[in-house]
Amino acid sequence: MSAEAHPMTTDDIVECWREIGVSGDRSCSELEKHLHCRNCPTHAQIARRLLDRPLPAGYRDAWTQHFAARDETAPEGEEIDSVLIFRIGDEWLGLPTAICREIAEPRPVHSLPHRRSEAVRGIVNVRGELLICVSLPALLGIGAMSSARGTDRIAVFPRLVVTGEETRHVAFEVDEVHGLHAYRAHERIAVPATVGRAAASVVATMIAWNGRAVGCLDAERLLALIDRSIA
Amino acid sequence: MLFLMFQLGRDRYVLETGQVEAVLPLLTAKQLPGAPAGVAGAISYRGRPVPVVDLALLALGRPAEARLSTRIILLRYPSGPGRDDLLGLLVEQAVETIERDPADFITSGVEAGMPAYLGPVASDERGLIQWVRGEALLSPEIRDILFRQLQAVP
Repeated sequence: MSAEAHPMTTDDIVECWREIGVSGDRSCSELEKHLHCRNCPTHAQIARRLLDRPLPAGYRDAWTQHFAARDETAPEGEEIDSVLIFRIGDEWLGLPTAICREIAEPRPVHSLPHRRSEAVRGIVNVRGELLICVSLPALLGIGAMSSARGTDRIAVFPRLVVTGEETRHVAFEVDEVHGLHAYRAHERIAVPATVGRAAASVVATMIAWNGRAVGCLDAERLLALIDRSIA
Repeated sequence: MLFLMFQLGRDRYVLETGQVEAVLPLLTAKQLPGAPAGVAGAISYRGRPVPVVDLALLALGRPAEARLSTRIILLRYPSGPGRDDLLGLLVEQAVETIERDPADFITSGVEAGMPAYLGPVASDERGLIQWVRGEALLSPEIRDILFRQLQAVP
């Protein structure tokens, strides 16, 4: 399955992005519309052609062996769940993927007059939709947000996470988003008694991830808590 | 609703992702002697034998090409009353999923005489996309032969 065994055949690929695109002289007429080659359907079409290459030597046999082996860590029929892992302060939390709508760049939060609730930060504009922005630290009673950067990592970016049922969306700010993480039912650990106050009622289970314990939020209880806080 | 897209020849078809267990790369299938036409063989998925139907062979009369984009879709297939088995579909160009409203799919008008697995069609800027009904892919006789033969394989 090594790349050397079957080098990429790029002979018939027109590298338009190197000639008239962002890596070339930028003379492509489509650039105005798509701003960058990575947004252009032509570029996507070329990328897809890489998958039309013949199979590398050994590829088929290696995968056949891989899938023939029994997966010892996954008992048959065991439930697989996935969460969006994010960080607030020192706390890593998981939001069920089913109620995760969108992850956006942070943007200004417009405060609401005559609202002095700590839990409601205000209104944010996400692609033209005005959403209520809640403060998860205030709701869960966990440590406040910090902008302190991890020392072992190059860059950490704060994000805005949009959650909610099909139609009713709510946003909240986080210090960092890791991404989606799939886990199996047997990886769930009971919530320790040390998890404080309001958080304990919303954190349904814990899972181990990257040497840390991540508290997975319960979708129903979290949305009910948010509903109560903005009512 | 999310659909998994693949191609037969130049045309695009979709399967409902709710029926899909997994998408596997092209594996080496064990031949099943005496199996009906269109059956590529059986693969071992986590130690469990799964019959594989070559959709290109079934629909176009030629085997699917061995390329990186040719993949095996593992379908949860109703093999008997109240029972689901896995069925592998060998398809070409399984590289894309699309989000479409099921109401976008309308009858193509030439239902009569078409294979039972071909469903309604939807259109986009590149042409028509046809919905493939996973559960109607095999005729009852072929289904019985396939799953009976696999149960005999230890």
